[in-house]
Amino acid sequence: MAAGYQQRPNSGGGAPGALPDPSFLWSVFQRVDKDRSGIICDNELQQALSNGTWTPFNPATVRSILGMFDRENKGGVNFNEFTGVWKYITDWQNVFRTYDRDNSGMIDKNELKQALTGFGYRLSDQFYDVLIRKFDRQGKGQVAFDDFIQCCVVLQRLTDVFRRYDTDQDGWIQVSYEQYLSMVFSIV
Amino acid sequence: TPALSPPQGYPGAGQPPPVGPYPGAPYGGGPPPGPYGQPPPGAPYGGGPPPGPYGHPPPGGPYGGPYGSPQPGPYGGPAPGGESGGSAPPGVDPEAFSWFQSVDTDHSGFISVKELKQALVNNNWSSFNDETCLLMINMFDKTRSGRIDVYGFSALLRFIQQWRSLFQQYDRDQSGSISFSELQQAFSQMGYNLSPQFSQLLLARYAQRSPNPNPSIQLDRFIHICMQLQSLTDAFREKDTAMAGNVRLGYEDFLTMVVTRML
Repeated sequence: MAAGYQQRPNSGGGAPGALPDPSFLWSVFQRVDKDRSGIICDNELQQALSNGTWTPFNPATVRSILGMFDRENKGGVNFNEFTGVWKYITDWQNVFRTYDRDNSGMIDKNELKQALTGFGYRLSDQFYDVLIRKFDRQGKGQVAFDDFIQCCVVLQRLTDVFRRYDTDQDGWIQVSYEQYLSMVFSIV
Repeated sequence: TPALSPPQGYPGAGQPPPVGPYPGAPYGGGPPPGPYGQPPPGAPYGGGPPPGPYGHPPPGGPYGGPYGSPQPGPYGGPAPGGESGGSAPPGVDPEAFSWFQSVDTDHSGFISVKELKQALVNNNWSSFNDETCLLMINMFDKTRSGRIDVYGFSALLRFIQQWRSLFQQYDRDQSGSISFSELQQAFSQMGYNLSPQFSQLLLARYAQRSPNPNPSIQLDRFIHICMQLQSLTDAFREKDTAMAGNVRLGYEDFLTMVVTRML
């Protein structure tokens, strides 16, 4: 198979985690919802999340996640939607731990390669360098948890849109300037 | 919170236009002198002949008017009420410094996305959306820490001012937002050759609907769209060496184009 994106990576990777008890989630929600608005916004979620280092959680990742679960475009998530956010993040945590073998909180290029290969991507070594350069916000040649999520989300969106245009599934598309712009604007 | 509407007569204007603040900034440039050079006339996209890429002379030229003069109508905003303390570091305009201090509400010495968002308003007084703030912070954040220092901030101020004045120019009916026809005209004046369908697509995606029945775009989205458009056009042009307006892209080509350019 020519194209390297046959299998759709799913966010969960391994076995999907079961949702914890609703009353527990409710207490988490209340703690995160600092202004008691009933909606968790970017800033509240960012403060509640840790990437395993002392740096703030990647705001782009926070935006991506909230954007996925915020159904009415209200700029945040309510309690119901938050249960989805919770599950999403813990699933990613489990995936990340699987590949972060030395428990350093960061995954290096090889580990990233194993992870994405496990999701079904077939990407060149050169492209992994591109990914590391892009998603290594800490300048360590490695990718932290929050940046790892963002990397996977971006890759998946780009792959989905590419696949829509690659009707014969040969890994190549022929696009006009506007088609190309529309492709990218539909996902960024 | 202080609102970062046009600092009136902001002295930083008239300085070099915001071309990629730091080497390697993923988005090469600001509005006026588009970073992509003059493409040959008749190119199927971007930078058509008439006014050249972005067609506009740098500030000080015809559209530079609003700089240094009180801004009329919906563009007005409260002056910075910032408590000023200390003096501006070398190379930083004192006014920018005083803005910086009032926006840096937690006094960390850095402006975060959240602080920036609270400080920037559109003409309808909505605060800037997260994506645009993030995009701009990343553009001026040389340490990739997700926040900017006073130098980055002062460059960012100039950058926003230039966009604001461009926006004002394209907002022909002075409604405070860009309508479909204004967007079409803006694109064509910037040298992009884009179909009405494409503008419609952008409008459908980024417009604020209520209470106005006609969707229109606020300043934050306008900046966002133009920055993305510019950067994506650059990437396309690199591939379209024959200037055919059409390219054949492999899966990884496409990924690389977008990932390396995207903020």
